[in-house]
Amino acid sequence: MNEALHALVQAVAGWGLDYRFLFDAYSRASLVDGALTTLALCLCAALGSLAVGLGLACALVSPRPVLAMPARAFVDVTRNTPTLVQLYCAFLVLNMLLTQAVGTGNPFTPFAWVVIVISLHKGAFHAEALRAGLQAVPATTLEAAGSLAFSAPQRFIYVQLPLALRFALPALVNNLIDLVKMTAIASAIAVNDVTYASIMIWTQSDNVIEMMVLLLAFYGALGLLVNAIGRWLEARLRMPGYGQ
Amino acid sequence: MANDTLAALVEWAPALLVGLGQNVLISLTAIAAGSAAGLFIGALNFSPLRPLARLWVQVFRNAPWLVLIYFTTYVFPFEVHLFGRYLAFPDWLKVTLGLALPASANVAEILRGAVGSIPATQWEAARSMAFSRAQVFTQVILPQCFTRMLPPWMNLYAIITMGTALASLVGVHDVIDTAQIASNTVNRIPFTVLIYFSLLALFFAWCFPISRLTQRLERRYAFH
Repeated sequence: MNEALHALVQAVAGWGLDYRFLFDAYSRASLVDGALTTLALCLCAALGSLAVGLGLACALVSPRPVLAMPARAFVDVTRNTPTLVQLYCAFLVLNMLLTQAVGTGNPFTPFAWVVIVISLHKGAFHAEALRAGLQAVPATTLEAAGSLAFSAPQRFIYVQLPLALRFALPALVNNLIDLVKMTAIASAIAVNDVTYASIMIWTQSDNVIEMMVLLLAFYGALGLLVNAIGRWLEARLRMPGYGQ
Repeated sequence: MANDTLAALVEWAPALLVGLGQNVLISLTAIAAGSAAGLFIGALNFSPLRPLARLWVQVFRNAPWLVLIYFTTYVFPFEVHLFGRYLAFPDWLKVTLGLALPASANVAEILRGAVGSIPATQWEAARSMAFSRAQVFTQVILPQCFTRMLPPWMNLYAIITMGTALASLVGVHDVIDTAQIASNTVNRIPFTVLIYFSLLALFFAWCFPISRLTQRLERRYAFH
């Protein structure tokens, strides 16, 4: 492992890239820690955003205006404001108010706020994709399910939702790749993710180019991973007669 | 109490508007530069240099915007030596470049999508009238692409506008930076709440009309 790292650093040194900071145990540990934090952020926010998206999509297609209108307003506001401002509204305003109210008992860490904000933000995008999927299910299919004595909730869970998920899957995967990239804003409120760890390293060692290459490769690899999982799911869930 | 807070907001409003002007400037410059570069790179897609265009698009669509902004901020010098004179290279221009890079990749994809959506019969019909390949592209295909490109392009502009919020993180004195200064200076909780939610409202007032217009245009062009 260590020898392979030495060989790799030696090899790229020829291109003028100096990666010797990786031999420094402290730098390496903080970088690995940052990468793990980013992975944890992605995982929590992905699950959270899918849950939020599903809930919002159900509200959006609801015939009851009491549910549909607030959901529509939330989605519109979320999609048309910067994530960073939302994060500030949550962390600098709500978190401050919460700390004022309960003192040091405030259970939310900066990490939790980032997960909450990204979940809600991407949840709004998922909701639009799922809404389109839900509405793309042919009415005849739903009528057929009704005629087979499915109750309304059963029809939704067993017929409409599984089909809608398949229709929306490409858009959802797209949103999730965006979510991976979006986790970089965690560095704005000093969550020790991979971007923040890199900033800390390059302010000490002045090796911006090397860190940038590493960062872009990391996010690129993470994006490719999500894409691969998405492709696998699409192939796995494909039904004869739907799509190519 | 409530009056005090509102009075403070009115007092800070001119400073906020100046900051917002900086965001507007960044977003307009970034979309202009990104569109010019993106159309060029998108056109490369239909030339032998296609792999180069694909690489550009892949790299800049898959990188987080914040990382690209850090990249352009820290990699470019603070002044450039041009024609024997030193020209300042201000931070806001670096942020603009950082936003123009992903914008160009997205514009290239929008162009590719638009060209792909033109029926193949258009190419064949034009070819049969003895147009050369370059003539077909510039005189028949491209003019039809622009209406199709308009809605996604406006959408991209709205996204870039929201991306300008990131400028505050690299020390550009924009509307968010101004809000933070105001919040720290006034240092009263109701004011802090008000000013951050005003930020949210400002960006919403700017982006929501664009997105509504985009939806209208999409519906109008949907049947062509």
